[in-house]
Amino acid sequence: MMQAILYKEWIKTRRFVPVLFAVVVGFALYALLHLHRAIVLKGAAHIWEVMILRDALFVDTLQFVPLIAGVLLAVAQFAPEMQQRCFKLTLHLPCPPRRMVGAMLLYGSSVLALCFAADYALLALDFSRLVARELTVRVLLSAAPWFLAGWAGYLLAAWVVLEPAWRRRMFNALVAALWLTLYFQAPGAEAYNGFLPLLGLWTALSGSLVWLSVVRFKEGCQD
Amino acid sequence: MTRFSKCFLALTVALLVLWKVPGLYNFAAADADKSPFTLYSSVLQEFVQIATGEEGTVRSTADGRRTFTQKEFDAVLPFFYARQLAADGRFPDSVAGRPMTPQQALYHNFNVRISPSDVRAPQVGLYPLLESHSGRVQLEMPSDVFRMTRSGMEFVDMAANTLDTAKSGRFTRTLAAKGFRFPARALSGDPNARKEYDAGYLVVDAAGGLFHLKMVVGRPFVRPIALPEGVEIVRPFITEPRDRSCFGLLSARDGALYALRMPGYRVERVGVPDWDPEREQIVIFGNPIDWTIRIASRDTERYYAVSADDLRPIDSLVRRDDSFTLPGLHFTSPLDRYVRPRFGR
Repeated sequence: MMQAILYKEWIKTRRFVPVLFAVVVGFALYALLHLHRAIVLKGAAHIWEVMILRDALFVDTLQFVPLIAGVLLAVAQFAPEMQQRCFKLTLHLPCPPRRMVGAMLLYGSSVLALCFAADYALLALDFSRLVARELTVRVLLSAAPWFLAGWAGYLLAAWVVLEPAWRRRMFNALVAALWLTLYFQAPGAEAYNGFLPLLGLWTALSGSLVWLSVVRFKEGCQD
Repeated sequence: MTRFSKCFLALTVALLVLWKVPGLYNFAAADADKSPFTLYSSVLQEFVQIATGEEGTVRSTADGRRTFTQKEFDAVLPFFYARQLAADGRFPDSVAGRPMTPQQALYHNFNVRISPSDVRAPQVGLYPLLESHSGRVQLEMPSDVFRMTRSGMEFVDMAANTLDTAKSGRFTRTLAAKGFRFPARALSGDPNARKEYDAGYLVVDAAGGLFHLKMVVGRPFVRPIALPEGVEIVRPFITEPRDRSCFGLLSARDGALYALRMPGYRVERVGVPDWDPEREQIVIFGNPIDWTIRIASRDTERYYAVSADDLRPIDSLVRRDDSFTLPGLHFTSPLDRYVRPRFGR
């Protein structure tokens, strides 16, 4: 049954996922292209200097890409179910609803993990070739909250989309939007270093909110 | 599961309220910084200030008993306004009984500002070491950076991203020969080519010893600095004033502040009771006669005047900030450059 659910999710998003992957990886490539162009124009030493002395990261164009990717994936995955009223049928399949919703979220999170891992690998490979390991680690650690925001955006958007009542949906959207600002508070590079484990845990736990929408949907809550 | 989800949502909303509501209130109620700009006057031998309020700009003594016009105020602070006084032809022949020219005043004037957010910030651990005697008028940024490891000093060529083993070995051997114990515990420098000279780095080694490190004609210059008995330096701060009289400020374990004075690498106690570089900002306006030192925390400003000759205290002033801020949850702070939860004002 789990395999069937995962296959159903793939059927639903098979056109969207390759585009998402291409766009997310494309932004990483664009950021690296920008870095290489800066090296050609100003020299490698200048890049090191501004990274060491002015906290420059050269991957700032990526900042909101994971968040937007996460939100769009949740909409692509769950909005059709709600619009075409398929979600009711899904919940009537002979499988515990919690496992089913869990499988759907696992599918989406894994798709994001694939996109983000590709980005991370590209950044790690290219930066480690060009700059010292300290600077590569600095870039990867500074970008980590942006990628966590991608997963949080996905889980919170799923919570909002699966909510059956509009008034409550607006409340959920407000809470989600305010909470997501937490991932973009950095006053400089590596600002989240000590906070990343707790932020990661909170991001993972935010998946539990989706269950509230599912319960309300099953109860038939409406405006 | 449902109960856990409800509790998690309630906790998230509660944290959001604790975070956003005080933030919004404090933002809406925030006042412009009303703390008057204060300096010690070498002429009047008391603190004077410029306050900006509803009545406009008021220049007065710190106790408010005497007010000044703009021109009078220039004369009250002849070092701070040396350029203006010189341009008006009003610079005095002597200040506090000492013969003085505008050139001397400008040469010996210096200012230093060190904030907690400079100290409590993620460090990348790579440092450019400029050539301090290049023979050129302008300094140049080097083509390599160094890192301090557990066993030595490593230079990395930036263009090739490779280790310069010869230079690394040269500097490591010189440091070891001068008694330096790896790894370095703290170091401070100002790797910036837009200044008049480069003093290199002040480094505290694993044994707590203080060293001056710089590069002279491509070769290492390492000088161990004798510390007063019982003094343990936690953080050094390089200063590089134009007259080269004070290479650095040193924060000690017991909270005392020391200055590294030249010539002779003399470590002298500065006449302030204490300074916590992790919680208090320090600003120093120095001139040939005295230094005004402002040590500010979130709710207190302490001003000290010390003699420039022996750094002994002359006068002091304390101001408290009574403005109300709603306590709440914060993820950032003006005291550091980290994002993490903290509760308070």
